[in-house]
Amino acid sequence: MKFVCEACIISVVAGLCGVISFFAHPKAPAFHVDELEVELEEVLRFEEAFWIDARSDEDFEKGQLKGALSLNEERWEEQIVDFLDAWNPDAPTVVYCSSQACLRSHEVAERLKAELGVENVFVLKGGWEKLAEAGMVEGANQ
Amino acid sequence: MRRLGQFVEIIVGVAFLWAGIVKLTDPSAFLSAILTYEVFSYKVSVIASLGVPYLELCVGACLVFRVMKGGARLLAVGLLVVFVILLSQAAMRGLDVDCGCFGSSTKSSEAGFFLPIARDVLMLVGIGLGILAGGNANGSREK
Repeated sequence: MKFVCEACIISVVAGLCGVISFFAHPKAPAFHVDELEVELEEVLRFEEAFWIDARSDEDFEKGQLKGALSLNEERWEEQIVDFLDAWNPDAPTVVYCSSQACLRSHEVAERLKAELGVENVFVLKGGWEKLAEAGMVEGANQ
Repeated sequence: MRRLGQFVEIIVGVAFLWAGIVKLTDPSAFLSAILTYEVFSYKVSVIASLGVPYLELCVGACLVFRVMKGGARLLAVGLLVVFVILLSQAAMRGLDVDCGCFGSSTKSSEAGFFLPIARDVLMLVGIGLGILAGGNANGSREK
């Protein structure tokens, strides 16, 4: 049974490191991400929406929602200029990425909020997959 | 045989260390990878995104530095079996998952599931070899 005790010790040490990391790691994921999330049905009730595509450039080239602007972390500095030119502060900004599992839209939305003070920003729940299901975009999820 | 077993186990330990370090450089990317498997809830995935890399680091360090080998082997086998199950269920469901194994963002549906599953099975064989070769030269088991 010695190896079971050893396994427990290793697991406890790893667990403690994980807990410390949750509070100290600069890139630790947030425990709650649903504050910014919004359902597609709700977005469709908005009078207008400013769409942001947070997927990679490659995916954006393959297909995007009509009128959506590409803004992702990889080319943030370049694309933020286009965003500021096109941004309509009166319309809610809705960010989407590929699926519910993708976190890129949350990162972009949080960055817009923190760095540019964009208050009226949401993350589309389900992302591109949801848009495709609703027939608003064509093609499979990239 | 014993030397070979130790050597293979150290290689497996280095692989675990590398996997842990890569995941810890960007836990959010690893979290995204876990979510693509569509098995765990978001909160469980957050815990795993920070717990699994440290577990890999500890297991890897123990295998490399030959401390608490029994416990490290047990956890290594446990982790690898879970990885194989997760990848296999994703393959069977035809999911477009990001393996997340070594921080790669290559989708497994594109790269194929065979390579990551084969790598995990190979590492399991390495651990097995280490256990089998655990005896000393005089035939007694190593302490």
